Order: sequence, then C-alpha cells, then structure tokens
Amino acid sequence: MIPLQTSNTLPDWAALAPAIILAVTALALFLIDSIDPNDESPSMLAGVATLGSVLAMVVTGWYLVAGTGMPRTGGAIELFSGQLVVDGMSLFFTFIFTSVTALVCVASYDYLSGRPNQAEYYALVLLAATGMSVMASANSLATAFVALELSSLPSYGLVAYLKNDRGSVEAGLKYFLIGAVSSAVLAYGISLVYASAGVLELAAIAEALGAGIDNTGVLGVGILMVAGGFAFKTASVPFHFWAPEAYEGAPAPVSGFLSSASKAAGFVLAFRVFVTAFPLDVVAGTIDWALAFTVLALVTMTLGNFAAATQDKVKRMLAYSSIGHAGYALIGIAVLTGTADQSYALGASMLHLFVYGFMNTGAFLFVALVEYWGVGRTFEDYNGLAKQAPVACFAMTIFLFSLAGLPIGGGALSKWALLSATASAATLSAYLLAAALIVNSALSLFYYSRVVKAMWIEDPAGDFEVSSYPTGLYAAVVGAAIVTFLLLPAFGVVSGTAFDAAAALF
Amino acid sequence: MVPAEYYLLLSAAMFCIGLFGILTRRNALLFLMSVELMLNAASINLVAFSLQWGNLTGQVFTLFLMALAAAEVAIGIGIILVLYRNFADIDVTKPTTMRW
Repeated sequence: MIPLQTSNTLPDWAALAPAIILAVTALALFLIDSIDPNDESPSMLAGVATLGSVLAMVVTGWYLVAGTGMPRTGGAIELFSGQLVVDGMSLFFTFIFTSVTALVCVASYDYLSGRPNQAEYYALVLLAATGMSVMASANSLATAFVALELSSLPSYGLVAYLKNDRGSVEAGLKYFLIGAVSSAVLAYGISLVYASAGVLELAAIAEALGAGIDNTGVLGVGILMVAGGFAFKTASVPFHFWAPEAYEGAPAPVSGFLSSASKAAGFVLAFRVFVTAFPLDVVAGTIDWALAFTVLALVTMTLGNFAAATQDKVKRMLAYSSIGHAGYALIGIAVLTGTADQSYALGASMLHLFVYGFMNTGAFLFVALVEYWGVGRTFEDYNGLAKQAPVACFAMTIFLFSLAGLPIGGGALSKWALLSATASAATLSAYLLAAALIVNSALSLFYYSRVVKAMWIEDPAGDFEVSSYPTGLYAAVVGAAIVTFLLLPAFGVVSGTAFDAAAALF
Repeated sequence: MVPAEYYLLLSAAMFCIGLFGILTRRNALLFLMSVELMLNAASINLVAFSLQWGNLTGQVFTLFLMALAAAEVAIGIGIILVLYRNFADIDVTKPTTMRW
C-alpha cells in the first residue's frame, strides 16, 4: 500500500479520485443514453452506475487503509489553494456516500424496471453523490455552498422522479421550496460571515475572527444562518418539515439515499465548518453555538421520535425516525465544549452516521421491495409478510432493532459511543442529551417493534401472494443487513479510523 | 465611500421582503422570485464587503451565486411544470395528498 502524498507516486489531485469517478460515471451514463435512447433494458445503466459507485467506494476504502491525508502520512492534502481538503474525515464520509450510492443503484435496477428516463435517474444519483463527496472535502464556505447545491439540485429532481404520481410531485415541490429558501438563508449567512471576516476559507475565518471583529451582532446572525442552512441538509429542526413529505412521496430508494447519504453530507459540512471556522474559544464572545446545537439536538430527537410513534404508514414512520437520528448525530457537535473529549464526541457522531448509512438505507430499500410487490403502506399491510418473504423480513428486523439500539447490529455500539461522549463532557446539558437519547431510544423501540410484530406475529389480512423475488432489491437489502450485523463485531475497525479522523480536525 | 452599514441595511431589507413574499404568496412562481430576492440580498452583501475588505473573494462568489440561482430556477420551473400537470394549478398550498 502506497500512501498518497506529495512525495509519493500519485499526484495530489488523485486524492479527489472518488469524486472524479462518480462525476465521470454520471457523464458516461448520459453518453450511453444518447447513443441508444430507446434501450428498454436497464441492466447496462444500472450496471455502469453500480460499477462506478463501487469503484469509487473501493478507491476510498484503499485511501482510508493507506492513510491518505492522515497525520501518519503527512497530514491533510490541500487542493486548489486550500479550497478543498482531503483528510481522514472527508474520506470516511465519502465511504458512506459511495456505499449508500452503490446499494441504491443495485436496488433501483428492479424498482425502476419499466419506467422511462432511467439514465437520468442514475446520472442524478451519481451527480448528487459527487456533490456530497465534494461537500466532505469543502474547506471554504464558497466550495461548501457550491457543493451543497450540487448535491441538492439533483435530489429535487430525484424526489419528483415519478412525474405522474401526485405524491412524488408534491414531495418534490415541498423539498424544492424549502431547499431553495434554506439555501438562500445559507447564502445570506455566508455573506454576513464574509462581512465580518473578509475571507471565506475556513481556517482563515477562524484566524480573522481571532484577531478581533467590530460587529459581533452581524457575525452572530451569520453563524446562526449558516447553522440553519446545514439544518436543512441534515433534516433537523427548524428546517425538518420537508423530510416526512419528501421521504414519503419520493421513490423509496431515493428516500433511502436522501435520508442516509444526504444527511451525512450535511453533518460533515457542519462538523468541518463549526470546528475549523468557528472554534468555540474564538467566537465565545459572539455566540455559543454548542448551546444552540444542544437545544436543536434535544428538540430534533424528541420531535422526530414522538411524531414517528404516531404514524400509521411505515415509510412515514421511517422518515420521522430519520429526523430523530439526526438529533442523535447532533450530540457529537453539541457537546464540543471545553470539558468534553472533543475528538471522541465527533468520532461518535461519525460512527453513528456510518452505521446509520447502512441500517437506514436497508430499511428504506425493504420498503422499496414492499412497494415493488404492491403491498400497501400501512403497518397493517405488512401483516404476515414474513411467511412469504422470510429472508427480507429477517433483514428488516435487523435494521429496525439496530436503529432502535438493540445489540443485533452496529447501531447499539454507535449509540453507546454517543452516550460515552456525553459522559465525558459531564456538564448539565450533556446529561440532558444523554437522558433524551435513552428515553427516545426506548420510545423508538416501541414503534420499530410494531413493524416487526406485524411482519412476524400478525396473520395476513388478505390473500396476498408474493409473486417474484427481485434479485437487485434482495441483494441490496441482504447486503445492507450483513454489513449492519457485521458492524457489531467489527466495530473496532471502523471506530479506530473515525476517532483518528476526528482527532486530526482539532 | 458609502458606509458599510447602509449596505447591510439594504440587503437585510431585501432579504426580509423576500422572506415576507415566501410566507404570504401562494403562487409557486412568485415564491421563486422571492427566493431570488433573498439570494440577491446575499449578493449585495458580498459585493459591498468585497470593496470594503479590498479583496475579490466576495465578487467571485457572487458570480457562483448567480449561476447557482439560475440552475435552481431551472429545476424549480421543471418541478412547477409537473405540478401544474398533476394538480392543474401552481398554488403551493393545493398539493396536500400527504398529511400527518
């Protein structure tokens, strides 16, 4: 293994290879489509899309193992005069994005069969993934904004992909409207930060702010608005209300893609911007964003879980639970005060997002499988499903219990890491967060179990027959389940990388 | 030189007008225009403070912002078009097939 650094064989720009591979694959899909636009067989498109995302995932994994951009091989690689940076954290998150993209592409093969405009669908998925991996590397507010838009704009189109389905169009509209507003809020926040600091590179902002500023009010509002823009991407309060609609109306693989990868992309940006550009000791006189994030985390996880408990549609329940999980992941940034073990807290959040990427995508892909069969959307419609499709239902059980935090998948350990992070902070707000995490996890077990109970215990209501077992969807669901389960024994492998990557940021 | 506070006031006013439009208008196209107003408020800040700080970062970012706003409108118009085909209206309060 050759670590990728200036002194070594590969040039610097090769550190961006995952993003480049994703973008090239997206363009290749358009090319294939333009050569034979009437090709009815989707295997070529799905194959190329899957190949591209798997290749990007393998390259990212290789970089992670080789230690590209990590302290042990010479530190972060800065590109384009510091506009982009490749380090452990960006690679860690790119691995999440590319693996989720691969799962979604495999599952979409069956889900999309017989639908038009498949090339555009796969290309948009890959372009959004490109935007996310650039978001993970963004080292300036300018690149952060451009990358965020690159991941958002294709997502709007993907949500509204089912053009003749009123639910999908409504979801796309709501997602777009709230996305447009929140990106305007983010842009305005960035302009206020620029007004205070005079620069947009993250490290330079911290330097400029440390040297003293005239107008703390402008900066404070700017930082809050930047936080608001990220809250949209992570589907946390106060910009969460698009999430239930968008996830419910969108094609289920897209819901999985958005709620796992897109959410993680928002978090990686929030981590990097707030830790690098607005360190708490520098902006302490202006705004205490740790407190703001504590409140947001508490409200987000409570609202998400309580709303999820009252749903009668499985997909909408998963959408609200995804808001709840955004609240859990916010803990890592909320406890970043002086007393906490900061790199541990950030690492715990990264781990939760990593495990969440697999278990949540898997759960949504199971919903995609159920939609493929034409089963209804409510809990009752899932009754007795396990008699017909035991393997898929077993996988779904793993996802749900892992989401709830039972030790059947990696979710238990990542929640444990978050709890330890709050314990290390040992402040009142951290204990509040810990209590909320425990109470909400207990509550979430209730509504996740409803699905499990429906699948395994209840008798089927009608005489429903599962007619076919689609290979792609099954492969994706079972693959995600195996990874979710394996993350339980193999948690140490991932956690070492995550904590190292987080430590490099401070 | 015009003091920086005036630019901040102008942009804040524009941002608030845009926000007001979003909260009160039901027509999707007016909604898009209001968002455009909010983005332009950010551009005013960036250009004004680019002069104030004596670097070009803000002006260059404004160019990106304008391009992104155009891209956003392109997607938005597409979505509004399928909205009209499905609901025969572009009132953003009409689509309510999903409620909790």
